[in-house]
Amino acid sequence: MNRHLKQSWGRSRGRRTVAQHTGKKVLRKHPAPTLSLNIAPMIDITFLLLIFFLVTSTFKRAEGFLAAKLPHDAGRPAVALPISPIIIYVEQYGEGISEYRLRIANFVNAPASFEELTLFLEDVQRNPGFSDDTLVIIAADAEVAWDHVVNCWNAALRAGCKQISFGRQSE
Amino acid sequence: MIHTQRHKDLRFNMAPMIDVVFLLIIFFMLVSTFVTAENVRMELPNPDKSLAQNVKVVDRVVINCRISDTGTEQRALYSVGPNPVESLEKISERLSAAKQANPQLRVIIRADKRLRYEQVRTVMDMVADNQIENMSLVAHVGSQMEE
Repeated sequence: MNRHLKQSWGRSRGRRTVAQHTGKKVLRKHPAPTLSLNIAPMIDITFLLLIFFLVTSTFKRAEGFLAAKLPHDAGRPAVALPISPIIIYVEQYGEGISEYRLRIANFVNAPASFEELTLFLEDVQRNPGFSDDTLVIIAADAEVAWDHVVNCWNAALRAGCKQISFGRQSE
Repeated sequence: MIHTQRHKDLRFNMAPMIDVVFLLIIFFMLVSTFVTAENVRMELPNPDKSLAQNVKVVDRVVINCRISDTGTEQRALYSVGPNPVESLEKISERLSAAKQANPQLRVIIRADKRLRYEQVRTVMDMVADNQIENMSLVAHVGSQMEE
């Protein structure tokens, strides 16, 4: 092979290009630039990251606030209210913590679930003497799960009650 | 037939990897919402068709009521923000100090749904005793809206 002759190969087009060294003058013919995107490492990393996040991710459910307002004169002796409030008793029923029973003071029919409680409160508000401004007191049993108390509060909010308060079970 | 192997230049092309990594970093920086340390992990109440709203409250004190999983007896673990409190009186002291610093203070009660009502009511009584009127209960935001 001629020492003054170097050969190189253009990969993309398979074209043979020659650079010749002829004494002082160098004539060099460059191959056409090959543009190829090597996506193999990118795909590797992308899949690796995808698997990593799929395995390690724990999705957090969004949480929000149920606004409440405590009475200003809390702790003072109770006085008779000018209008009769709707008192909802949430009672422990059975052994499990998921069991509960609802009872409404001065009403015979008691809703069986919080869904029914919303409908019940909406119905009561239509009666004369009651409105959405009528005070609703949630009097929960000490043993009742906090989940039921919040459910009860949410049901009253859904019924459009504007004044909801916490109370204690009467002895 | 004799094959003469050409000496190949073996180099690891890192450019695409760096591109993707930077792209992912930017993506996660933009979309991530960081869980604040005061929101201790627990099972929050999950009401049917919850009306809980995710609003930003600035002047607030978060009281966490977690359930103790160890032991047979169910116990409540209280903390003001991320800091556990030794006794319930400490909660009252902190609420009193916070109320003096900011009268428009809002107390946010995050309680585990498995706790008994009396265990949360103790905290609510303290909030009321400190003459704090603004209080919020934390529950999961409803996933399906009422039609």
